[in-house]
Amino acid sequence: MSATPATKPAFIEKSMKKINKIKLGLPIELLKDQTVKLFQAAGYNLQIDEGLYRGYIDEPEIEIFLARDQELTFYTKQGAVDAAIAQEAYLLDQKVKIVPIASFDYGVNIWSNAKIVLAVPENSKIKSIKDLKGKKILSRVPTLTKEYLKRHNIAAKVEWTDRPAEPKIPSLGDAIVEFTNTGTTLKAFNLKIIDVLLETSPTLFMNKKSYQDKWKREKIENLAILLKGARLAQEHAGLMLHASNEMMDKVLKVLPALKKPTVTQLNGENWFDVLTVANKKEIRKIIPKLKKIGCTDIVEFPLNKVVP
Amino acid sequence: MQTFSKTIKLGIPKGSLQEYTIKIFKLAGFDINIPERGYFLRIDDPEIECFLLRPQEIPKYVEKGKLDLGISGDDWILESKAKIIEICDLKYAKQEIKKVKWVLTVSKDSKIKSIKDLEGKTISTEAVNLVKDYLKKNKVKAKVEFSWGAAEVKPPRFADAMVDITETGASLRAHNLKILDTILVSSTKLITNKTTWQDKWKKEKISDLALLLQGAVKGEEVINLMMHVPGEKLNRILKVLPKLKSPTIKKLTGENWYDVEISCKEKETRELIPKLKRMGCQGIVEWPVVKLIP
Repeated sequence: MSATPATKPAFIEKSMKKINKIKLGLPIELLKDQTVKLFQAAGYNLQIDEGLYRGYIDEPEIEIFLARDQELTFYTKQGAVDAAIAQEAYLLDQKVKIVPIASFDYGVNIWSNAKIVLAVPENSKIKSIKDLKGKKILSRVPTLTKEYLKRHNIAAKVEWTDRPAEPKIPSLGDAIVEFTNTGTTLKAFNLKIIDVLLETSPTLFMNKKSYQDKWKREKIENLAILLKGARLAQEHAGLMLHASNEMMDKVLKVLPALKKPTVTQLNGENWFDVLTVANKKEIRKIIPKLKKIGCTDIVEFPLNKVVP
Repeated sequence: MQTFSKTIKLGIPKGSLQEYTIKIFKLAGFDINIPERGYFLRIDDPEIECFLLRPQEIPKYVEKGKLDLGISGDDWILESKAKIIEICDLKYAKQEIKKVKWVLTVSKDSKIKSIKDLEGKTISTEAVNLVKDYLKKNKVKAKVEFSWGAAEVKPPRFADAMVDITETGASLRAHNLKILDTILVSSTKLITNKTTWQDKWKKEKISDLALLLQGAVKGEEVINLMMHVPGEKLNRILKVLPKLKSPTIKKLTGENWYDVEISCKEKETRELIPKLKRMGCQGIVEWPVVKLIP
């Protein structure tokens, strides 16, 4: 025990030893709602009481721990939790060594990734990165920002800021590096984007020691398969149709290749039942094409999970 | 518009059961609209008249025949002592985490350690009859006081103990209360009365509705799963599939791959899908079941 670093209290050591239970860190605040939606889509009943900082899940082998995601990264490294979901950008910024398992591509109330952008006031004289020389940048991800400036050979002052950064310029700095999902906040503060540093996805990652525990690793990998499957299902739908023997060649050419279509001959007829899965955006184009080919009884149905 | 001389009058519970009830009716094929501030619900079946009422009152209205059919919890059916007929349970699997549990609680530092210590004490609750029956069963004499709500704050100053619903226990912890006993775990029931049940038309109408509602409740727990299985692994994979219904197996044209389709409980997929993927299945697709009629 004497070798235990001061950052890892004894009670954490104890809870790590408890087998057959995974401690999972989930983000509160901005990413909370979308994370809960993802778990629900994967078939879990996850409820978060943000007032009491407690989470409940109908899976006895998982214990929920709630914190801001920029903290979950190092809590995972320290072993306070076995695994957690947090923005990939924090992982990169904090240089925390943990094992990434899967990314889920969502943002704040939106099913697409956030971007980390460099922004300045609309009327600022800063028009490009070059103009940042000698200026002060307030950043949510200071390390990444410094690396970015170095790549562009710009010497500027970088200061860490917590959320929100938008109201802090121009009074406290010349530019900000901040997350943006829809761009609404930037617009509300009359800011314009000069450059995009990176796109960031909520990522499930594991503590190194927990990753070496076969049971824990499988448990988290299984969770990742289900969450990823639920996420993919949101973008796909099932498609069912009837086509005659003569149409089949054309039909199979139109259908996408994610899943080989299942073709069944209709009883005693020259017609076939075709079942497949496709991206919803593709389906918009496919259905009119199928109709033109002469397919009948085209039915689209929603999916819960897609695991390729 | 055609008018129907025969209708059944249905009571939908307002409050915590409301959202789930409306959802199950929707899955069963009935759309119920709640007008803002209204208590006369619109349902897309001209043979049903729908009312939004407190679940506490529904059992009594069903008993008296003011309603032919109602949805309420075991708790309020027992509390009201209404003589009704239970048609079926509409227990919702996803509610498992939030079971309606009536618990007897006291302050953490209270001298009351067991039911016996309640002798001569005061218990505050909204479900007075439920608690009286419980005390009688345990041969304890205590005073039961009706509480209009916020029973958590009553012990120890305003009562010695209290009985109330707990879901996650968070509110009990916040009020420094501990659970001595669980008095009742309440489920959701579809209920009718004797007179209605003797009317041939009503009985048939209600039975059909019950079949669809139960199908929707069961369907909530079940999903369909479709996957592509390599020929050489087909037998091994068929062995691990759950046996809810025989799988449908089709050979993919011109390939040594099979398409296998099954139905299984949604909860089983947590273990099953990762397992199937590890075993070499591809293109695993899960989609929802709306109704399951065995």
